[in-house]
Amino acid sequence: MAEINIENNRVEEEIILEVQNLKKHFEISKGFINKEVSTVRAVDGVDFEVFKGETLGIVGESGCGKSTTGQLVLGLLEPTEGKIYFQDNEISALNQKELRAARRNLQVIFQDPYSSLNPRMTVEDIIGEPLVVHKLASGKELRKKVLRLMNLVGLQEHQMKRYPHEFSGGQRQRIGIARALALEPKVIVCDEAVSALDVSIQAQILNLLKKLQRQLDLTYIFIAHGLPAVRHISNRIGVMYLGRMVELADRNAIFEKPLHPYTYALLDSVPIPDPKLRKESQVIEGEIPNPSNPPSGCHFHPRCPFANDVCKNEVPEYREIFDGHYVACHYPLTDHETQVISTEKEKS
Amino acid sequence: MGEQLLDIQDLKVRFKTDDGYVSTVNGVTFHMEEGETLAIVGESGSGKSVTSLALMGILPPNGEVYDGNMTFEDKNLREISKKEYRKLRGNEMSMIFQEPMTALNPVFTIGFQLRESLMLHFNLSKDEAQKKGIEMLDLVGIPDSEKTMSRFPHQLSGGMRQRVMIAMALSCNPKLLIADEPTTALDVTIQSQILKLMRDLKIDSNTSILIITHDLGVVAEVADRVVVMYAGEVVEEAPVYELFENPKHPYTKGLMSSMPKVHEVVDDLYSIEGTVPNPSKMPAGCKFHPRCPLADEECTLVHPDLEYINESHAKRCIKV
Repeated sequence: MAEINIENNRVEEEIILEVQNLKKHFEISKGFINKEVSTVRAVDGVDFEVFKGETLGIVGESGCGKSTTGQLVLGLLEPTEGKIYFQDNEISALNQKELRAARRNLQVIFQDPYSSLNPRMTVEDIIGEPLVVHKLASGKELRKKVLRLMNLVGLQEHQMKRYPHEFSGGQRQRIGIARALALEPKVIVCDEAVSALDVSIQAQILNLLKKLQRQLDLTYIFIAHGLPAVRHISNRIGVMYLGRMVELADRNAIFEKPLHPYTYALLDSVPIPDPKLRKESQVIEGEIPNPSNPPSGCHFHPRCPFANDVCKNEVPEYREIFDGHYVACHYPLTDHETQVISTEKEKS
Repeated sequence: MGEQLLDIQDLKVRFKTDDGYVSTVNGVTFHMEEGETLAIVGESGSGKSVTSLALMGILPPNGEVYDGNMTFEDKNLREISKKEYRKLRGNEMSMIFQEPMTALNPVFTIGFQLRESLMLHFNLSKDEAQKKGIEMLDLVGIPDSEKTMSRFPHQLSGGMRQRVMIAMALSCNPKLLIADEPTTALDVTIQSQILKLMRDLKIDSNTSILIITHDLGVVAEVADRVVVMYAGEVVEEAPVYELFENPKHPYTKGLMSSMPKVHEVVDDLYSIEGTVPNPSKMPAGCKFHPRCPLADEECTLVHPDLEYINESHAKRCIKV
């Protein structure tokens, strides 16, 4: 931990991955005879950078585009527009073969380790498969490497010949992590990696991910909807809403001084495990709009307590307000306003 | 709080499998009063959902209650006929589930499904049921309630579907509402709306709510009293403030400290080692001993009783 500057929670600032104006639009057609085509702007102009050795958390509710962003970064989807750079190479411009080589450095851990592990393969084969595919090891060497990976994630040697169904959810997630580590990647995208796990198991996996990051100098993009887990593991956090990044900052700034009303509402909605802090009212009204037909201007304006005509008509610019604190809002929250919201809440 | 509504004594449920019977609920005891919200909290495999299914009399065909007593008001739920049980469900007790999409019928409109139960239980005409249905949708905060009556489940969002489920469950003024992970599948801003709705409804209607959840945050938001389950047993029971301030059982304490907090940051989270035991291979003695930081030899031999430390706080542990 010594090399990490805890003061501002920023790790040495070497950019390992950069995303510029990233867009992914899906066309969906309705009807058969009178075909109607509409476009879902799943990711609609997202910019961020990831520093080497840090964890960038990406949070948001259903339909915000966080998982699509993860798949774009991994090269599993082709962007409609925009660029993705990994260590100064533009991965969004690579052909299949080059992409395959680049993927050695970019790996993923999925939410549900049961559906992402082949039920007919033993643990040994699952963890070793990436090494075989990339022709990096075989025979005794392969076995040795698999064993080392298993030790790294806390699995025992005698479990090598077992199948995924013989393991509990937490153990299966360890298998998924070992497999993701097999190619010694530099960046790992954790897509809801602990969301399906029980609380006590979630803590085990979060601790493991942190330990591995320190040991192997990994960079994580941690995509999740569970805010407490994201705060626990991330250095910086980006908040997405309907395909756009609405705020990105240091984790403490996001949690203690959010500038976007959506971030504030999202944090305020998290149930706190303390009955003394029970919420008597909620700030945020309304539903998450349909991503195929998002509201005009600022996407959040129909649910925002501060919205006016400007918000209705103009898309707010995503800009850096303080050092490293980005927000896309015409009227970022001031301390005064957050206080107004909480006193109003107390009154009601 | 009022009169006792529900009393469960030493409930045991088992399932028939290829390898013989497996018991997943092993002597669960708790009670509920009128107008009270009781939360049962536990991880997967703790038996919390099976307990609620047994209570509703809707266990899957291979499951059975093989011991214990369930008394609802003055009725012994293990002795009443199927017909009486059916009358009880819907009228006196109703249930909402985690995923409303699977609990609603996809080929009928919301209105049809709401009217059906109202017409059946209250002998209303179609027009009267329609009117009452719209009232119910208004009550649970569905905008455009008249239009929603003619929509199909897939045309609504997850949060709206859960509101419809709650409207249906409450339409016959049940005395007991069982909510099995009612917000687990919802986004967090929608979850807070539904939790608020459940709190408001309780104030307005005096319905008792039994909420089953794995999320201590949800527990803290809505419950009056809490039952903590582990491996098919109640390991702790206490009023909500007392439980969060003064948890006794090492499992409860472990659960609380393994949750990442929104408002503070620690380097490493506390974690309970190991996993929930398989119900066919339960450890001897205290079922939590293989994962317990306080366990010693005595714990491997003695199965502790649920012991009251004051009139409302009980724990199943010999070490604390």
